[in-house]
Amino acid sequence: MTRYGRQIEIGPTDNTSNERTPRNRLHIIPEEARASFAPYAPYNYGINPGEADMTRLAPGRPRAEGDPIKVIGKITDEFGRPIKNSLIEIWNANKYGRYTHIEDHSGLALDPNFLGIGRTLTDQNGHYEFWTIRPGAYLARPDINRWRPKHIHMSIRGGSSRLITQMYFKGDPHNDSDPMRILMGDNFDKNIGIEFETPDEDFNCGYKFDIVIGGRNPTFFEDI
Amino acid sequence: MTHSNAKINRLTPTNEDTLGPYYPISLCDNDSMDMTEIRRGIILEPRGEKIVIEGCIKDINGNLANGCLLEFWQANADGVYRTPLTETHPKLDPWFNGYARHRTKDGNFSLKTIRPGVNTDLDHPRAPNITLTIFSDGIMRVVTQLFFDGDPANENDPLLLSIDKNLRERLLMKPAGETDNGLKIYKIDIIMAGDNETPFFDDLLS
Repeated sequence: MTRYGRQIEIGPTDNTSNERTPRNRLHIIPEEARASFAPYAPYNYGINPGEADMTRLAPGRPRAEGDPIKVIGKITDEFGRPIKNSLIEIWNANKYGRYTHIEDHSGLALDPNFLGIGRTLTDQNGHYEFWTIRPGAYLARPDINRWRPKHIHMSIRGGSSRLITQMYFKGDPHNDSDPMRILMGDNFDKNIGIEFETPDEDFNCGYKFDIVIGGRNPTFFEDI
Repeated sequence: MTHSNAKINRLTPTNEDTLGPYYPISLCDNDSMDMTEIRRGIILEPRGEKIVIEGCIKDINGNLANGCLLEFWQANADGVYRTPLTETHPKLDPWFNGYARHRTKDGNFSLKTIRPGVNTDLDHPRAPNITLTIFSDGIMRVVTQLFFDGDPANENDPLLLSIDKNLRERLLMKPAGETDNGLKIYKIDIIMAGDNETPFFDDLLS
């Protein structure tokens, strides 16, 4: 009777992953219950001017330290249909690998001109863009010298689409030992931003990061 | 569409990734854990019995799982979910969205809501339940549904019937007294891993 889905794997050298990863396989949802697993988030947010430019605290303020970069991409479902008007929440560490989060006790340098939190919306074609500072890697496990590679967190929420993912950088020496990267296997390439030049813009370079949201979550996107 | 046919031309989904420990707390500033108040300061209220769900998220060692991002989703007092497909549904409750989000600092949560109803118009009515999505450091998104202990509709719920009998118990919220102003309280512990692990569901492969 019971039908099983994926077995979530434990990220190697990640204590929290060991403590929180379900040991049993996920259960397949019977047809009659599937619709109830696509939460539809109401729109209770408004984006303020400048929120997509994380390189400054506000328009006209000084630039944060480090390399300013631009990140662009298109968000679609598995059939290539654009996910429109979706809220993207972005957070990343500063140039030194430090978050402004009150629970980041690493002691790494803070940058008084960098918040590391941004938001933007996808347009009618599912496109998005934002600007941030290229994050630093940081030592996540000093006891075994395991680092977290440079990465930018992105949460996509709107209608019933839902995804939290991270964009990584090609060639980061810490990529190969990252627990989540190891779990992704060859599919890790999907999470690497593709670098492009931005010669006419006031940025170090750009990264293209197209995102495909899987499963039934984007069910209602067409009606947004 | 059939799953097997549709799969041929599907794009490979982007990998889900861990929330990490540093999800910005301020991004939840506009979120609420009170589904009975569609906007702050509005006197109109949803239909149904107001209740409070108190729960916690625990790890494999029985410790509270700090820093989780929790999302709740449920039907209204008549068992109807609010989606773009139901905006003109006669049983839609205009004063109820059924969605709540919360970043829990210590692993505990408290949700004020209404007890969802049963949509008897459906061929396979669902027992009253609340969908819970958990994002956390160390794991990708996991989802489950929470039910009310003793509800007669549980006996015929297709999701509960799809899992082993001994696991169903772990999805039941238990009565636990009342609040000072007389709302019934229901309690549940979500065990992410190990003994008495909460059953989670696969909404990507299903």
